[in-house]
Amino acid sequence: MLTALARAFRTPDLRRKLLFTLGIIVIFRLGSFIPTPGVDYTAVQECLTQAETNSSLLGLVNLFSGGALLQLAVFALGIMPYITASIIVQLLTVVIPRFEELKKEGQTGTAKLTQYTRYLTIALAILQSTTYVSIARDPARLFGAQCTAQVVPDQSVPILALMVLTMTAGTGLVMWMGELITERGVGNGMSLLIFTSIASTFPSSIWAIGQENGYAIMAAVIFIGLFVVAAVVAVEQSQRRVPVQYAKRMIGRRMYGGTSTYIPLKVNMAGVIPIIFASSLLYLPALVAQFNDPRAEWVLWIDRYLVRGDHPLYMAIYFLLIIFFAYFYVAITFNPDEVAENMRKYGGFIPGVRAGRPTAEYLDYILTRITLPGALYLGLVSLIPLIALVLFNANQNFPFGGTSILIVVGVGLETVKQIESQLQQRNYEGFLR
Amino acid sequence: MDVLRISLQVLLALTSLFLTLLILMHKGKGGGLSDMFGGGMSSSLSGSSMAERNLNRFTVAVALSWAVSVILLGVVQRFA
Repeated sequence: MLTALARAFRTPDLRRKLLFTLGIIVIFRLGSFIPTPGVDYTAVQECLTQAETNSSLLGLVNLFSGGALLQLAVFALGIMPYITASIIVQLLTVVIPRFEELKKEGQTGTAKLTQYTRYLTIALAILQSTTYVSIARDPARLFGAQCTAQVVPDQSVPILALMVLTMTAGTGLVMWMGELITERGVGNGMSLLIFTSIASTFPSSIWAIGQENGYAIMAAVIFIGLFVVAAVVAVEQSQRRVPVQYAKRMIGRRMYGGTSTYIPLKVNMAGVIPIIFASSLLYLPALVAQFNDPRAEWVLWIDRYLVRGDHPLYMAIYFLLIIFFAYFYVAITFNPDEVAENMRKYGGFIPGVRAGRPTAEYLDYILTRITLPGALYLGLVSLIPLIALVLFNANQNFPFGGTSILIVVGVGLETVKQIESQLQQRNYEGFLR
Repeated sequence: MDVLRISLQVLLALTSLFLTLLILMHKGKGGGLSDMFGGGMSSSLSGSSMAERNLNRFTVAVALSWAVSVILLGVVQRFA
């Protein structure tokens, strides 16, 4: 393992890529601590220490930005706008025919869709930073009632506009840095940036649990965390291999095909996307409620049932949404008809199943059945932090919670695999045996 | 001190706008959400053209001046 790492750094090409990626990550983390101009840094720190546990509403968003959000940093929004924009564009491919056409078009169409996503990201960044700055004018709404210090001292319009502008530019910069990693570094930039922001909150939250609840519980939490990681890796890697046989063909004087391969159908094909979808959807009512009269009947209802994660109703809705989105996303990304059609075109068939429509039906059947345990698993894993909230009485930023652990493990696996494949161009042995 | 602060703020506003525009001018390389968390092959074998490289250089320069003005504003505010 360590020798493989040393070998990775000895390969000049790979070393450049790794160092580039690390450099961007460092810049990203630095930017999460530089306060936006117009914010009183000392006041923010004061409020942060007072109101550590009271931020359940912005909890998930804060998690995705690595704590930068509540620091009111220049990268406060992090990559959240990009994620939201991607989700929206992804969903629109089902609704708008033109988007669907673009998606089917292949490379050029995807590039167009990416461009739309980027524009949408900036638009969302403006929207979110405006709401966020307007909330930050009254620090009690952001940090809880104990916070009395004035976070934004000068509340004139030009200063607020400047803050919005700076945060928007920061979000754009984060987006570009992610793309740079994808282009010149290792792994997928966007997911690596989420990975860093989530992983960066791990040590401090474990430490906080140790200080609040004693070190025996901290050890137990770490142990449970390792166990969950192992379980998550096992399920992430598991797949069903549908055998495919290719017929031999003569084209001119060459012989093609004749190989037997398999289609890997992963148990959890949708990855963490259902969890992200579900939690951003559940976050909406809380967001709406925040802008209304806090004493109104329905706002109180939302506050009681949909904001705090420890209510059974919240858990049930969350669970069902995740299962729904797991099926939904698999249906979007994997099209059995298309796969069957492609296989027939190149002379491939599944032994015992006729080519064409029966193959598509067969694949669909397997996929529907295999996704059920995958979806249930996703739902259960995502409930871990909510249950821990009740059991340990820890705060919602419980480190080894569902969303964070799935993202960290998923991204980690993917990145290591990519380094591995780069390494194997020169050496035979890699990280994974 | 006021002159310095206001000029920095103007500089920040300008660079922010410019930076956002420059970044939007780039061609998106990330493949969106689908290859974000596993799956999807990222095969970006294409080298960057001369125009792209100039754009990169320009963006880095603007980003640097943006960062410098943010930091300087923070410093000015701290000692104001």
